[in-house]
Amino acid sequence: MKIKITSVMVDDQDKALKFYTEKLGFVKKTEVPMGEYKWLTVVSPEAPDEVELLLEPMGFAPAKVFQKALFDAGIPLTAFNVDDIQKEFARLEKLGVAFSMKPTTMGPATIAVFNDTCGNNIQIVQV
Amino acid sequence: MTYYQQQFLKIKEDHFSKDYLYTRIIRAKLLIDNFYYKSIDLDTLAEAANFSKFHFMRIYKKAYGKTPHQYLIHVRIEKAKLFLQSSAPVSTICFWVGFDSSSSFTGLFKKTTGFTPSAFQNRQKKQKSVAANMPIRWFLWYFATKGLNIKNRNFEEVTI
Repeated sequence: MKIKITSVMVDDQDKALKFYTEKLGFVKKTEVPMGEYKWLTVVSPEAPDEVELLLEPMGFAPAKVFQKALFDAGIPLTAFNVDDIQKEFARLEKLGVAFSMKPTTMGPATIAVFNDTCGNNIQIVQV
Repeated sequence: MTYYQQQFLKIKEDHFSKDYLYTRIIRAKLLIDNFYYKSIDLDTLAEAANFSKFHFMRIYKKAYGKTPHQYLIHVRIEKAKLFLQSSAPVSTICFWVGFDSSSSFTGLFKKTTGFTPSAFQNRQKKQKSVAANMPIRWFLWYFATKGLNIKNRNFEEVTI
């Protein structure tokens, strides 16, 4: 058994694709129309054959309640690893990405949290 | 300040109050990340971090959950996995990632991944050739189990 896909819930798949590719720098891997929604995944260009991130539509209403509660508490839905968090923070901030937590070090890890504009807080980590 | 930030700062205060120690440990860890292909011993690492060997080992393990040697092996195996995506000979890759002997490389690689390096390399080749069909299976399964209300079903178009 292995983990091949993980997901973030997004309020709008087109907006999400724009943010996750144009701002974060991921690349689109799969896009299959499925009626109202689509099967839409992105990958890191550094690891295109590894785990895919599904930009998951919120067709299930209670998901919105869960997403909002996490967002209001500032809790990240998921986290991505970066090699140099200061560099990444500066790059994203320049692109207009809003951070609720600037790079903060805890023991061997440094983290920062930003708003993905699709309803989520996302954490970046340098270990 | 959000709830998350408050919790984060509390954990930091409770468990990682000695930031200055970790800064030194990170120096040694980066040495492994950047120079994994060279021969790196404990003396070099402890010296880079400015700790005695014993103290260094203890703090390192507390920070990363692995001894420096275990982490070095981990980095080398991970790099080897990337190189094994190519068709470069296993003996060359073994040397690229910093192992002196191919038998210790093969042994450690098998222990970590469950495959010998050459078996892993063959498997990667095969997987790449079938990968094109895989997304179809995932989303069929995924949407079916999530029970999303999909209008205008077009499963016919994507049936394998």
